[in-house]
Amino acid sequence: MELLKIENITKRYSAHTALDDVSLSIPRGSIYGLLGPNGAGKTTLIRVINRITLPDAGRVIFDGKEISDQDIYHIGYLPEERGLYKKMKVGEQAIFFARLKGLSRREAIIRLKQWFVRLGIESWWDRKVEDLSKGMAQKVQFITTVLHEPKLLIFDEPFSGFDPINANLLKQEILRLRDKGATVIFSTHNMSSVEEICDHITLINKSRNILSGSVDEVRHRFGENVFEVTFRGEPATFEQAVSPMAEIIEAGEVADTPYLNARIRLDDNASVRECIGAANESVELRSFREVIPSMNDIFIRAVEGKL
Amino acid sequence: MNKIKIIIAREFNERVRKKSFIITTILMPLLMLGLMAAPTLMMLFATGEQKTLLVIDESGVVAPQLESGDDIVFSPYSGSLDEARAQADVFGVLWVGRDVVATPSQVRLYTNSSSSMTLEETIISQIEDVIEAERLKMYNIDGLKDIMNNLQASVSMTTYRNDLSADGGDEEATSSMVAYLLGLVMGMMLYMFLIIYGSMVMTSVIEEKGSRVLDVLVSSVSPFQLMMGKILGVASVAVTQIAIWGVLVCGLGSTLLPALMPDDVMQTVEAVQAGQMTALEADMDVDMLSALSVATDVSGLVTMFVWLLLFLVGGFLFYSAMFAAVGSSVDSIQDANQLQTPITMPIILALIVAMAVFNDPNSSLAFWGSVIPFTSPIVMMARIPFGIPTWQIGVALVVLYASVVGMAWVAGKIYRVGIFMHGKKPSYKELWQWIRQ
Repeated sequence: MELLKIENITKRYSAHTALDDVSLSIPRGSIYGLLGPNGAGKTTLIRVINRITLPDAGRVIFDGKEISDQDIYHIGYLPEERGLYKKMKVGEQAIFFARLKGLSRREAIIRLKQWFVRLGIESWWDRKVEDLSKGMAQKVQFITTVLHEPKLLIFDEPFSGFDPINANLLKQEILRLRDKGATVIFSTHNMSSVEEICDHITLINKSRNILSGSVDEVRHRFGENVFEVTFRGEPATFEQAVSPMAEIIEAGEVADTPYLNARIRLDDNASVRECIGAANESVELRSFREVIPSMNDIFIRAVEGKL
Repeated sequence: MNKIKIIIAREFNERVRKKSFIITTILMPLLMLGLMAAPTLMMLFATGEQKTLLVIDESGVVAPQLESGDDIVFSPYSGSLDEARAQADVFGVLWVGRDVVATPSQVRLYTNSSSSMTLEETIISQIEDVIEAERLKMYNIDGLKDIMNNLQASVSMTTYRNDLSADGGDEEATSSMVAYLLGLVMGMMLYMFLIIYGSMVMTSVIEEKGSRVLDVLVSSVSPFQLMMGKILGVASVAVTQIAIWGVLVCGLGSTLLPALMPDDVMQTVEAVQAGQMTALEADMDVDMLSALSVATDVSGLVTMFVWLLLFLVGGFLFYSAMFAAVGSSVDSIQDANQLQTPITMPIILALIVAMAVFNDPNSSLAFWGSVIPFTSPIVMMARIPFGIPTWQIGVALVVLYASVVGMAWVAGKIYRVGIFMHGKKPSYKELWQWIRQ
């Protein structure tokens, strides 16, 4: 069951079309990666979901109903370009944002205190934002995004500006929120973080949705039947054994070991089992594994149109 | 609605708690009182040292008649001009030629340090008096001095308003002088508030846009709510400030001023206020009496402040919406300067029209200026002290507040698009496209 469904959204501006008939559905409890190069239309799509801009055509279904202004209270959004009032004190400012998301002042203070303790920033409560470092301000910003316990969390490049330790802390918090039932949309260029935490992805390019699916499924779909084989024995024997069903792309030695290494592309109608069998007969096989393209490769290939 | 309240509260609290707000709110009335008292104070402190002028009078008629004052002493000198000029311990030398009565240009002043305009005027007017008297003597008419004294007249006119005595009382003497001053102060005050508080809205929008708080805010509130919240928040700061000033002025007027004035003066003022006596019967200067009567008439002052507040809020809402729109469409204050010209021009124009109003508060320029919303707040506040029909004020208010709605709508359109535009400053043409979108 999906929490959010985007149906044929189109958004035009006077000079260009930002979204062209984009559809996608985001499963409840998933971490959904929204990928795409700069200017592809990701931010516009997020703004449509947040009801900051209204689409020219199409519908957004949130939690089974067409989205309304009331649903804003169930969405938490951390924009890529984010800021706080510099002259305001941290605690007061966090209360202000919490109240805009529908929390009472009392409730906001109780929850904020808990979060501040969790992230170890209690002592910042009365400090002005201008006295905080960028990373510190990001932490405060993160808390204000998740404080009202929204069903849907939207993070736009959440890790930019964080050191690796705090980025990891933030990642753990995002996973914890997902485990507690939140659905997360995650917009980023950082493909390694996509592989690490996303379940599903959608790739938007030039205002269109060009690729959707679960991360594993997409990666396998982009697999090109390439396998990496490590073995000990005569390279010539190996080549002879597998050549009826596969082509050797590259071969070499594994440094400091007696093993050899080869990348082979299996013919379309060949079976993996037969290939392993043949290789096993000819040499001493150590490993035989499929080479799955990284999200980074898929991203580049998809955007450059080499699908 | 609830969200707008939260935004208003933030804007209000942030500004009212600032030291600068507290200081200006309390110091401004004191500063204004100080400005009014300044001329007197300056007179008190300016009379420092006495200056000695050596007078070489070749005509023999001027020197004996020069009167030394607090700040200047004329001392006749019998030596030559060169000797006199060589003396360094005096302020200077005044030389009067032999035929000064026939040729008044034969007067020269040599000073050892810089001279001042008031000093020169004192000397000139004294010599002029002497020469006039000497010339009159030449006509040889008996009792000429008495005739001259008799000829001099000092007119003091009292103005009555026939149309303002409808409440059954006697005609009320008004002073155009007091109305002028009051109108000037109110018009200037509105002008200042529109410019200062309007730019405050603009600067604050630019800051929000620059610090990217806006990007976060719009996920919780609509851009229009955000804009209105900010405008209303700043407006409530302005109202607070005016209200505090109003209370201070009314308080001073009703307690401090009567306590400072001699009893008989206050009795006269009260009698005039109660309509038992007309200003003419009172043995006092009409302007002075009228000013005192206005300054101590609390209900009159309160009415004035209520009008001021209504026009201030209306005018502010009208203009600040445009200021907010300009702020939203630029990235820096420098970029805003050019775009805000179309907003500041009508405000300055309004002040110019207000100045013209003082000559004739009921001219058609004054009337239309106080009805058209671009100029009405300032022009109307300049007119009100002269006493104008209430229906005109009513019409002006209705037109103003109706235009506020239209202006907010237009500004909201620009704001909605502008806050997401970064980079190039938009042209007027682009702004027009945003409105039409």
